[in-house]
Amino acid sequence: MPVAGQNAQTQQQKPPQSNEPSLGDLGFTPAQTEANAKLQARLNKRTHMLKIHQTLGIITLAPLAATVIVSSGAKPKHSHTAGGTVIEPSSAGVDLHAALGSASAIMYGLTAYYAIAAPKIRGVKPKGAIRLHRDLVWIHAPGMVLTPILGGIALNQENQGEKPHGIAAAHSYVAWTTVTAYAASAVAVSWPIHWKFWEK
Amino acid sequence: MRLALILGLLAAALPARAQNQWDLQQSTLTWHVTHPMHEVAGTSHDAKGKGICANGECNFLIAVPVNTFHSGDSNRDLHMLQVVRGAEFPMVLVRTSLPQAELNSPVISADLEVRFAGQTAHYSHVELHRTRHGNDVEITGTIPATCSDFKIERPSFLTVPIHNEIPVDFDVLWHPQ
Repeated sequence: MPVAGQNAQTQQQKPPQSNEPSLGDLGFTPAQTEANAKLQARLNKRTHMLKIHQTLGIITLAPLAATVIVSSGAKPKHSHTAGGTVIEPSSAGVDLHAALGSASAIMYGLTAYYAIAAPKIRGVKPKGAIRLHRDLVWIHAPGMVLTPILGGIALNQENQGEKPHGIAAAHSYVAWTTVTAYAASAVAVSWPIHWKFWEK
Repeated sequence: MRLALILGLLAAALPARAQNQWDLQQSTLTWHVTHPMHEVAGTSHDAKGKGICANGECNFLIAVPVNTFHSGDSNRDLHMLQVVRGAEFPMVLVRTSLPQAELNSPVISADLEVRFAGQTAHYSHVELHRTRHGNDVEITGTIPATCSDFKIERPSFLTVPIHNEIPVDFDVLWHPQ
C-alpha cells in the first residue's frame, strides 16, 4: 500500500468513457448530488461564528476563575482569635471581585451571542457531546444572571451591618454551580479527549 | 437452418458473457481524523456503486454523499461538512479500472481516482482484499487520503491542527447483476 499523499496527484476529472458507470446510473436524487452554494455560505458563516464563540468561551474562563479566586477577599471573615469578631472585607477586595464578576458577565454575554446568532442548519438535531454542551446552558445561563444579583443583595446587606441572609446567602453556592457548569460545558464539547501530545 | 439458429444464439449470447455488471449491495466507509487530543471516526453506509465489465476490463464507480458520514456528534459533522465544502461538492466519487481477470484474486492492486471537495486525487497500487460470499464479493481496503490531496484546510483545536492523514476504510459488498 502506498504512503498517504506520496502518490496522490490533484488534477481535473476526465469525462467518463462509454463503458464507465456514471453518477447518473446510481439513483441518487438531484438534491443529493447538486451543489448548494447557499448552504455552503451558511456553513461557512456558522463555523466562523462558532470559532469566535469557542475562543471567547475559553478566554471567559480566565475572569471567571479570577472572580472565584478573589472572592475570599470580598466577604467578611470571622476571627477565632479575637472572640469571634467579624472582620469586614476591604472595599478594594469587594471592588475587585465585583469588577472581575462584571467582566465575566460581559464576556459570557458576548460568547453566548456568537452561539445564538450562528446560523442553524435545517434538519440537523443536536447529537453527541454538543447536546450536553447545550443542555448545560440551562444551568450556567440562569446562574450568570442570578450570581451578580445575589452578590449585589449580599453586599447591600453587609453595608447595612447585616450578615448576608435569605436568598443572598446563596450567592457563593450559585456562583460555584455556575462556574462548574460552565467549565463542564467547555470540557463536554471537547469530549472524548485522548491525551496524545507526545505523538506527532 | 438449425446451424444458423445455433450461430444466431451464440452471437446473441457472446456480448452478454463478455459484459457483466456489478451492483453495490452494502457499504461501510469510515474516515479517521487524528488530533493530539482527539481520535475521531465518521461512518457512512449510504454509498451506491456500479461496476461494468466489458472486453476484459472492469470499471467501477462508488459514490457517497458527504453529508451521510456521521461521527456521533452533529456539531463535528457540520464542521466537517463545512471544511470539506460538502454543500458545494456534495458527493465523494471513487473510480477504478481493473482487468476482469484480477477480480478473482484474493488481493487486488488497484489504482483509485477519488473526487472529493472539488479536487481529484489518484492513489496507485491500493491493496484491496477480496472475499467471496456465494455470488457476492466483499472488498475491503483503505484509501490513504490526506487533507492536502484535496486542498482541505486542516481544522484545529486549541490552535493545534488535525494530522494531515485522513485515511478512509471501506468495506463494500458487490452483487453480480
